[in-house]
Amino acid sequence: MSGHHISTDKTLLGVAGALLILTIATVGVHYLHLPNPWSIIVAMIVAIMKGSLVAVFFMNLYWDTKFNSMLLLAAFLFFGLLVGLTLLDTLFRPEVIPSF
Amino acid sequence: MANHSTTSSHSRFQQHHFVDAEQQFDAAKMGMWVFLVTEILMFGGLFAAYIVYRLWYPELFVLASEELNTLWGGVNTLVLIGSSLTVAMAIKSAQLNQKRNIAINLGITLALAAIFMVIKYFEYTHKFHLGIFPGEFYTFEGIDHPKANVFFSLYYLMTGLHGIHVTIGMGLMIWLLVRSTKGHFGEEYYTPIEMTGLYWHLVDIIWIFLFPLFYLID
Repeated sequence: MSGHHISTDKTLLGVAGALLILTIATVGVHYLHLPNPWSIIVAMIVAIMKGSLVAVFFMNLYWDTKFNSMLLLAAFLFFGLLVGLTLLDTLFRPEVIPSF
Repeated sequence: MANHSTTSSHSRFQQHHFVDAEQQFDAAKMGMWVFLVTEILMFGGLFAAYIVYRLWYPELFVLASEELNTLWGGVNTLVLIGSSLTVAMAIKSAQLNQKRNIAINLGITLALAAIFMVIKYFEYTHKFHLGIFPGEFYTFEGIDHPKANVFFSLYYLMTGLHGIHVTIGMGLMIWLLVRSTKGHFGEEYYTPIEMTGLYWHLVDIIWIFLFPLFYLID
């Protein structure tokens, strides 16, 4: 077990710096007004990169037992199931129910 | 490992049903990750609702997002990233036994969390002033879409649940600050800071997704 990895200031500040740059980048891309599907795709790719940086380095998953990483991935797997199965209904309705 | 329990040097926070402090720490951390899974799935229900409505009414999300202030959303993103950094610094300080730095970093984290909530307060009250309330209480007429209230119901539910988490996090930071001034934490024992840190980072990650999904829609 390596549950007690001590992060150096260099790592922590480097990750925070990368998060800062990615935040500025995603706001910058927003003002470029990319054509329809690309705006959300780029925004989500940047968000996933930022979230991964936080999980891997700030939450120590890189140095931690792999079991904890598996728990996190399982959460996203089940979230994917929830969204996937829901969309199988909501995307294929002939008409949106008016009260919705 | 042998005869570890006979030494009197172990932390006073070690509980007798664990082999050693290491096992206690790893067990606590795994339990915390299981809790974070349930948190992700709780927010997951709201994210699923968001996806369903965004696919039903894509034009609504473009129109309604104009009412959200990208500048303040961006500032809040940076505030939370900064607070994630300081909470990681607090853990590092504990590991290096720098007891004063634990309290300093926790204090900065608490202050950044408070700044986040103050900005959120001004964002909310500005919308309330315009009549932008969730659901049937919505009276704003500036958005030309019959389902405009749906966007703001999602906005208030998701940022509201997130805000509740930030508020709980502030309570945890105060608790840690009190304990750190009593000298409870150091290289031997810092489990509560590590667990609160994991919780705080998850709250940060959720905001990292909420920000582009609400504020950055063309």
